[in-house]
Amino acid sequence: MQNPANAIEVRNLTKEFYIFEKDYQIFKWLFSHKSREQTAFLKIALDDITLDVKKQEMVGVIGKNGAGKSTLMKLVAGITFPTYGSVETEGRIGSLINLSAGFNPDFTGRKNLYYKGMLMGMSHSDIDAILDDIIDFVDLGEYFDLPFRMYSSGMGARLGFALAVFSNPDILIVDEVFSVGDKNFQAKSKAKTMELFNAGKTVLFSSHSDDQIRNFCNRVVYIKDGKIAFNGDVETGLEMYSEDVARQSKKQG
Amino acid sequence: MLEAIRFYLKEHIENKGLILKLAAVSMNKQTLRTSIGVLWLYLHDFVYFSVFVMFRLLMSGNGEIDGMHNIVYLVTGTIPWFFMQEALNVGATSIKSYRSILKSIKFPITIIPTVEVTGIFFKRIFTFLFMFGVCGYFGYMHCFHPILFIYYVFCMLILMYAIMVPISAFVAVSSDFHQFYIVTLRVLMYTMPIIWGYKHISGNHFLEVLVRVNPMVYVLNGFRNAFVLGGAPSLVYSIYFWLCVLVFFAFGSFIQFKLRKYYADLM
Repeated sequence: MQNPANAIEVRNLTKEFYIFEKDYQIFKWLFSHKSREQTAFLKIALDDITLDVKKQEMVGVIGKNGAGKSTLMKLVAGITFPTYGSVETEGRIGSLINLSAGFNPDFTGRKNLYYKGMLMGMSHSDIDAILDDIIDFVDLGEYFDLPFRMYSSGMGARLGFALAVFSNPDILIVDEVFSVGDKNFQAKSKAKTMELFNAGKTVLFSSHSDDQIRNFCNRVVYIKDGKIAFNGDVETGLEMYSEDVARQSKKQG
Repeated sequence: MLEAIRFYLKEHIENKGLILKLAAVSMNKQTLRTSIGVLWLYLHDFVYFSVFVMFRLLMSGNGEIDGMHNIVYLVTGTIPWFFMQEALNVGATSIKSYRSILKSIKFPITIIPTVEVTGIFFKRIFTFLFMFGVCGYFGYMHCFHPILFIYYVFCMLILMYAIMVPISAFVAVSSDFHQFYIVTLRVLMYTMPIIWGYKHISGNHFLEVLVRVNPMVYVLNGFRNAFVLGGAPSLVYSIYFWLCVLVFFAFGSFIQFKLRKYYADLM
């Protein structure tokens, strides 16, 4: 950390995906002196990104599909690793990425909470402590003690959301998940996120909804083709993004 | 290389509690929806074993193989093999099966094969009781060596952990390798003295050496030694076995270390 006031520090971050046309080429890369560039196609997802997020800041990330928003989120969450550059974070990270991943379809909701909590590095007693809050929050009724395979996708996402949020993270990474669940739950999840933010947490937030960005964020980062096109005031950023979208649809139309 | 081994050991030591807890979960995963749970597994093993016994009895009656009763010879070979077979199958795809988790949660990847192998070991512990039962019935328990037995159980577990380190990594990133591996496994069983004995290849020294090159044969021979033949394992063979284990660990952790940053991208 260069600046102690920062919660997330991204420095000259470049992420390249390597696409191997055939599986066996991976072995060429592993065992020969050839570099990956010589054995695989290269796809640059993020190109030299530098970004600071201060503690207690709520930053929105906007951009087209495939611009690199999710890649950035996953890198900050520590799920994938940068090709060049560095990502530093301070404190526990709660990632709202692909919410229903990690749940076993044959376990009940209750057992799944303990199971996924375990995968996330929480102990049995950690979950015990927040179990009542989660039950209250997800409001699944009798489904909570039925196998996960019977859940609708919204219910699964609710459970995942509740677990990530109630595990009391210092940094919350929210990747386009506020669109899950019914209206009632959407309102609830937004309120809960605001509550965390007011309690002094840092939030990195990506969404396609202008309203959500406006309501939530103090600052917006617009990612365009893997680069940061704009970083600053929410209204200016949103305007710039919608101008780009309009220009593009005109070109296509 | 040293850095890779250190990384592998560090992840295991830091997460030893998690390994045991996840192993206990994975133990019941397959049979969770069945009515008799893990008993199904024992039933599979028993039926499989009975078929072997039937063949053996049809072929050579109440005879002996390598100085042991037919059925005792079979039970001391098949029970460890059933464990190794499942470990080789399930362990190989372990990282692949954690795919969705690796793509959305930060997770210590190198412990995954260890978790699965440990889970299989837990649920199969009772099959060893069956082995004791059969050996006792045929009167082989009086020459049982508990220390040798425990040593070979340890060898068997460590060997499976070691083999799975590189294999699970390769299977996760390459479907070509997976297909190749499945074919190899099919053949592997018949190259090991599980249902046949050394007397069947007696005289052919080259073939015997070829069979013994497989470190799993060290474990199989060992279990038979522990029950009947007695005697400590040959020193040269033991050294060879532990060298194999070391090579698998070192090579495997090198591969895991190199791939650890790419799993989520490649799968």
